[in-house]
Amino acid sequence: MNKKLGFLVFGVLFGFALSRVGASEYDLIVGMFIGQDYTLVGVMVTAIIVGALGMQVIKKFAEPVKSGEPLRISYKELKKWSIPGGLIFGLGWGISGACPGTVLAQIGEGKLFGLFTFAGMICGTYIYARLKENNTEL
Amino acid sequence: MFILRSIFVEPWPFWAGGIVIGLLVPLLYYYFNTALGVSTGYGNLVKIFLPAKNLQWIKTKYAETFSWRVYFIIGIILGGLLSSILSGNLGITTEMGRFTAIAGWPGILNAVFFFVGGILLGLGSRIAGGCTSGHSIHGIANLHISSILVTIFFIIGGIVAANIVRSLFLGGAW
Repeated sequence: MNKKLGFLVFGVLFGFALSRVGASEYDLIVGMFIGQDYTLVGVMVTAIIVGALGMQVIKKFAEPVKSGEPLRISYKELKKWSIPGGLIFGLGWGISGACPGTVLAQIGEGKLFGLFTFAGMICGTYIYARLKENNTEL
Repeated sequence: MFILRSIFVEPWPFWAGGIVIGLLVPLLYYYFNTALGVSTGYGNLVKIFLPAKNLQWIKTKYAETFSWRVYFIIGIILGGLLSSILSGNLGITTEMGRFTAIAGWPGILNAVFFFVGGILLGLGSRIAGGCTSGHSIHGIANLHISSILVTIFFIIGGIVAANIVRSLFLGGAW
């Protein structure tokens, strides 16, 4: 399968699922943080369990992967700034009621203010690129 | 017909979404040997939309401007669009749940509010090395300690911000 086409298709599936469980709803994300609605905790815990089981299946029965290469699991190292970065991300999550994936589903659904969260994310990534010019530890 | 309606028209129960999203982790490894992740693709968008071609990080990490990450982003948008078409909720709305319902701000202030939230999401995900999909789902599904730790701080930040917004702007209602 062509990688770009494949990711387009998997992206549609991802966006559809996010939208259908209400992950693109401000009320469900913020409701989770103020302890009013735990639907999305259920979604995430289910996804983590299914993902973990699926990875065991891949390791046992489907390695090497389809292309014939050995499985290469990407590990995100904990760096000096990872924890503060996580806090900054969390603040944005609680303010906007969206994350980098769900904001895209919001845009597809026609939520106008999702476009502003989206534009902010591009600018935030740009700020990171500028900061990284002078700080290799980031 | 009932099954088709449940899948394509009605909202899904939480576990159905969890299963589909969780399956993406092994499927993306099987087909493309690639980790699930969304936020890294925003670097491609920086290259597309902003004058940033001379920044070293953009130059080295995003050599291919329209990489698969851009296609994944477009796909997620189309998935949201498809979902609202099939459920009959298609249309542009300026509502954002209880925030716009209770705060009652003029549109321009709402725009600034969500823009600020977006800046923190973009900056934070790059510094932390991933977002809800890359760290919290992909990373924890692979039992990566770093992703578990970072996710704990995602949640702490979310709880702090949501409760501050609730008491300052939503009058503690809800």
